[in-house]
Amino acid sequence: MSAAGGAWLISFRVGGAEAALPLGIVREVAARPAITRVPGSHSFVTGIALHGGVALPVYDLVRFAPLWSGPRPVPAAGQMDAAEHVIVCDWGEARVGLLGDGVDLLEPGQAGNAPGEARAPRCGISAEYVREILRRNDESVLLLDPGRLFASLGVPAAESTGAREGGGEDDPACR
Amino acid sequence: MKLLMVSVGEGRYAVPADIVTQILDPALEGDLRVERSEAVYRGERLPVLDLHAVAGEPHGVARVYLVVEAARSRAIVAVDGADSIPEVPSTDIAPLPPFIFMRPARVFRGVFSDGGEPRLLLDQDGLL
Repeated sequence: MSAAGGAWLISFRVGGAEAALPLGIVREVAARPAITRVPGSHSFVTGIALHGGVALPVYDLVRFAPLWSGPRPVPAAGQMDAAEHVIVCDWGEARVGLLGDGVDLLEPGQAGNAPGEARAPRCGISAEYVREILRRNDESVLLLDPGRLFASLGVPAAESTGAREGGGEDDPACR
Repeated sequence: MKLLMVSVGEGRYAVPADIVTQILDPALEGDLRVERSEAVYRGERLPVLDLHAVAGEPHGVARVYLVVEAARSRAIVAVDGADSIPEVPSTDIAPLPPFIFMRPARVFRGVFSDGGEPRLLLDQDGLL
């Protein structure tokens, strides 16, 4: 059986785990942009970047404790994750960035479901966020459940993010 | 819109210039007495808002005070420095998504590019 029912995936490394998301929600994979810390934001929000004139919140999943069932290398407070890429995702009307390394495209059929012994995640990601465990060569790739992930991060599924379309901050619908 | 660029600790932020009525240098301003959370300026008692606390920066001795005025309130805002007043079109200021904040009340409302760096714009309604 092919990965995720034949859908294309984006795989990436995060906190020592190999994770994946459906390509359908990924707008772009970009080199890490300039990111500014936002005081008062959640601890797992690395900061804000500008992406095509839109404020892009950038998330560091390593700092999002509920995602993990085991230890992972968390940067010290005040230090930013060193990930080199941002995976820009569209979720509802929101656009969010996830920090990641080793970003790769996973073609349909390239990965298969893991056999039973590999089903128990040993990479530290909590099973409730894993939709499927796939096998690529000799490694497990955890297909994350984007609905659960983004809901847990507080990203609304269908609500204005403030993404501007010509009106800038004067557009009241974007506030 | 005109923005006053201020520095607070290691951070740099923008304040809408139209709410800043005065920039005070405490070393030169004789009629200003600043206490912990209040100041008396020309006989008027005003609350002091310390942007160091807002920005999560270590407290320091503020070198500049801004007198800011919103619809119904005036306050003094303590910062480390104030330098330029660039004109930034409001269409270049992207609103911040509200869901990134831990609390509904927030003191930043937007972000814009300042020489390639994203720069945060203070929200006077959240600040005052």
